[in-house]
Amino acid sequence: MNLRRIAAVATKEWKETVRDRLFLLMAFLLPPLWMVVFGHGLVLDVEHVPFAVLDRDQSSMSRDYLYRFMGSRYFDYRGSVKDAREIDRLLGDTAIRMAIIVPDRFEEQLLAGRPVTVQTLLDGTFPLHADTLKGYVIAINHAFTQELLTSFLARTRGLGPEEAHRIAEPVSIETRYLYNQEVRSTWSMVPALIMFSMMVASPLLTALGVVREKETGSIYNIYSATVSKAEFLIGKLVPYFVISTINVVVLWLLAVLIFRVPFKGSFPVFLTASLLFVLCATGIGLIISLLVRTQMAALIITIIIAMVPTILFSGLLVPVSSLSPGAQMQAHLFPAMYYTDVVRGSFLKGLELEDTWTDLLALGGFAVVLRLVAYGLFTKRPKA
Amino acid sequence: MEGKEALQTQHSDTIVRVSGFVKRYKKDVAVDGVDLEVRRGEIYGLIGPDGSGKSSLMKAIAGVLTYDAGAVDVFGTRVDSERAAERIKPNIGFLPQGLGLNLYPELSIEENIDFFAQLRLVSDRDLAERKTRLLAMTRLERFRDRPMKNLSGGMKQKLGLICTLIHEPDLAILDEPTTGVDPVSRRDFWSILTELLQEKGMTALVSTAYMDEAARFHRLSFLSRGKVLVSGTPMEVQTLVPGSVVTFETTPQVQAIARLKQSFKQVESLGPLLHVFTPTADQSEARLQINTALGDLVPTALRVDEPELEDVFVALLLQKAEHKETSDAQPTAEAGHGRDGLAIEAEGLIRDFGSFRAVDRVSFQVKQGEIFGLLGANGAGKTTVIKMLNGILLPTGGAGRVAGADMRTAAGSIKERIGYMSQAFSLYLDLTVEENIRLFAGIYGLDKRAMSERYRWIITMAGLSGYESSLTSRLPMGVRQRLALGCALVHNPRVLFLDEPTSGVDPIGRRHFWEILSRLAREAGVAILITTHYMSEAEHCDNLALMYAGRIVAEGSPVDMKRQVEHEAGRLFEVVAEHPAKALVHLRQAGFHRAALFGTKLHFFCRDPVRDRDCARHALEGSGVRVISLHERPLSLEDVFVYRVMALEQAAKQEAAA
Repeated sequence: MNLRRIAAVATKEWKETVRDRLFLLMAFLLPPLWMVVFGHGLVLDVEHVPFAVLDRDQSSMSRDYLYRFMGSRYFDYRGSVKDAREIDRLLGDTAIRMAIIVPDRFEEQLLAGRPVTVQTLLDGTFPLHADTLKGYVIAINHAFTQELLTSFLARTRGLGPEEAHRIAEPVSIETRYLYNQEVRSTWSMVPALIMFSMMVASPLLTALGVVREKETGSIYNIYSATVSKAEFLIGKLVPYFVISTINVVVLWLLAVLIFRVPFKGSFPVFLTASLLFVLCATGIGLIISLLVRTQMAALIITIIIAMVPTILFSGLLVPVSSLSPGAQMQAHLFPAMYYTDVVRGSFLKGLELEDTWTDLLALGGFAVVLRLVAYGLFTKRPKA
Repeated sequence: MEGKEALQTQHSDTIVRVSGFVKRYKKDVAVDGVDLEVRRGEIYGLIGPDGSGKSSLMKAIAGVLTYDAGAVDVFGTRVDSERAAERIKPNIGFLPQGLGLNLYPELSIEENIDFFAQLRLVSDRDLAERKTRLLAMTRLERFRDRPMKNLSGGMKQKLGLICTLIHEPDLAILDEPTTGVDPVSRRDFWSILTELLQEKGMTALVSTAYMDEAARFHRLSFLSRGKVLVSGTPMEVQTLVPGSVVTFETTPQVQAIARLKQSFKQVESLGPLLHVFTPTADQSEARLQINTALGDLVPTALRVDEPELEDVFVALLLQKAEHKETSDAQPTAEAGHGRDGLAIEAEGLIRDFGSFRAVDRVSFQVKQGEIFGLLGANGAGKTTVIKMLNGILLPTGGAGRVAGADMRTAAGSIKERIGYMSQAFSLYLDLTVEENIRLFAGIYGLDKRAMSERYRWIITMAGLSGYESSLTSRLPMGVRQRLALGCALVHNPRVLFLDEPTSGVDPIGRRHFWEILSRLAREAGVAILITTHYMSEAEHCDNLALMYAGRIVAEGSPVDMKRQVEHEAGRLFEVVAEHPAKALVHLRQAGFHRAALFGTKLHFFCRDPVRDRDCARHALEGSGVRVISLHERPLSLEDVFVYRVMALEQAAKQEAAA
């Protein structure tokens, strides 16, 4: 191990990266850009759903029923139609995503104590979305039914509204959302996006940095020189490690200052996890770069390897615990999941070292294993 | 391993010993049983076309590539593992193939050198000292801070050499260091390399694709298809195939070629000249053989010379009879294009890229049926000229007409009348020969009848029969090149543009290709504009223009150009002397400023052949250098190019000084 040679490789790499404008842009602009674009774009909250109504009853009770939907912040009223066929057209054009059809004699039947059925048509193109919508509809419908019952009880038994309510709904639920009181999806997404941006940018940068030398042939300078494998690998990674570390801090600032996500945990823990994760991510890039020959191949493979598991198995969109057992196992094979746990935990749950040390340990393990694999794959005397 | 000690004592000054070397890439055998020995202090040459196995061999010797069989010993160490390879690396400098590709474009000249020095742990003091000296020697010191990406080809090459030698290795392995560089830079490079090696007692293993560089090596191996065809000193190689080269003019040329081919294997037409290799070293015997073969045709301006190494290599290749395809091409029974009128006219063409003037007032004319060569180094502006004439690139200034159409306004009709073959043959490698031809015919909209007629014509013209259903990717380079030519001719164009069509093709393939070209020009009346950086090839052209830094610096027929230089500078003489380096110094002192070292030989110009010659001999012998031989040599086009460019540079320097 000779520090002068490591420094030579690292300095050269740093100069090249900083002077190549495209590379520089990629290094420092892509991660924040992803963060901003996805942070604003990947909002999973279901709100302001456009809907239309077909009121066949036109009674005061049917209007009262429909007003409850119109007044909700979850729905946007887009008008009422005269004909069921018009609903088909509107849904087909995605002008609306839901329609409510109130049958005729709605008021008459209800007042006579007979059950009625209100038809709701939901756009099922996005199942998660439709499920959430269904929940809203059921809740509003439930509230309406509950009121009917309460007023019926009050009327027939001569009870006060309070007591009537208690009888009508003996068990009530009190929900309190922990960690993310307003259930904002940005709060959950943005910390995970730090992971996502790093997971794609760091390996990409590292892989391109090494493959670039393979493609031009300058790697032969390394092969034919007395610089050792470890010296080269360390020197080569230092600049990318520094760039990635700067990026982590920038992304953290973006999350806290622009997206206003509260950071409740400990910054040292977050930083440690981030550095370990950067080591993993650059390690993945390094391994890819040792297996391919062209920058194009490196680009495609890195994007596939880095993106697909990250999106599917890291807990970015779907919690790991709700994946199938097979998928859960896969999730444990990628470092992204452990880091996502730490980042989300640090931001939202205020987790400290004692809660996250297993994740940190796992990340450290990955970093070491990936380095060893890279060292094993790298040879200064290749077959071709 | 056990025989190592014994082997070592055989030749104590042997630095590299390769025996039974085999390298495979998957199923392809790149090098097939090569033996080689490099001794201390020599420049050992590996010569051969692309794919002959030079690079694989050099990489294995440098310890950066594994091999499959045989043994490689460097400095007495058997290089058979990564660990063993690491042991030899401190004393090796390796320059991989590709001009400047191993350097770092974003770093400046100085930063590049520093990086290589730091990798090799050269001490700061040594580095500073060597850097100053090497930069001065290569005349790069003014550009210390210029990023490598903004250097010319010649400068990149010299920087590459500095970086490879900065740690003063015992053995320098240089893989095609001169490919794609202009002749002036090439000569410069050779003199720097020779000087450095001598001074530091280094040994060098150098590969090249230029046959005419063979004479610069102390010893060499000629590689062909992974095997060594011949090894030895240039002199030894030359004596292997005794013969002489007879050059003369005669008309009609086509008929003369047909007659000569019956008796001789190597017949080339160089413009109006014929160039024949006769298998006899006796000059009068050679004359006689030619006269007999020609019958009633009378040769004029006949001269007999010693064969060049390239002639020897071709003769050897032919002896091996690996190439049976030499000349099955039939004369073309093709209704020719009219011989009248100009096919290409360029008038003051200018092209700027930003503030950089790539082409500067270029004018020339090409007649129908003429082969016109545009010569110059990479980056001299040749390709830009072709692109403008093809209507692909708009000129900044000037005018041009191609096949009767104005290139500014009628780019569409130009494309119908011209054929274009680029450096990287634009063939579809996964299609067969027939499919490729039919595809190109389809692209040009030939109807069914025309297509099958044209197809047969191309197959015979390009000598492709027997290859019709072979996959293009499986074809040897030479055949692939002829197929590309055939595809460029599919729509029977009047004008053909060829952009460095012969890069990487072996000498026989190149000669065959030129044979087809001259037939196309002579018999079918096609006008051909060709670019090349092989100066030796340019001899085939009827007329030439030399481009340097975007300008045409000389033009005319090869014979005229040489005559003009002879008129201005005198005749060229070659000396073989005992101590070449010492001899060079004495010659320069005696007033022969243009004297230059060529391997072990010296070249210099004499204004007065008799008087100057004696003067040179006296100068050498008077200072104790024994002259082994001293005789006149025909000028090569490379000599012309170097002379012209040097004159220009000198004029520019004087202008700057004044």
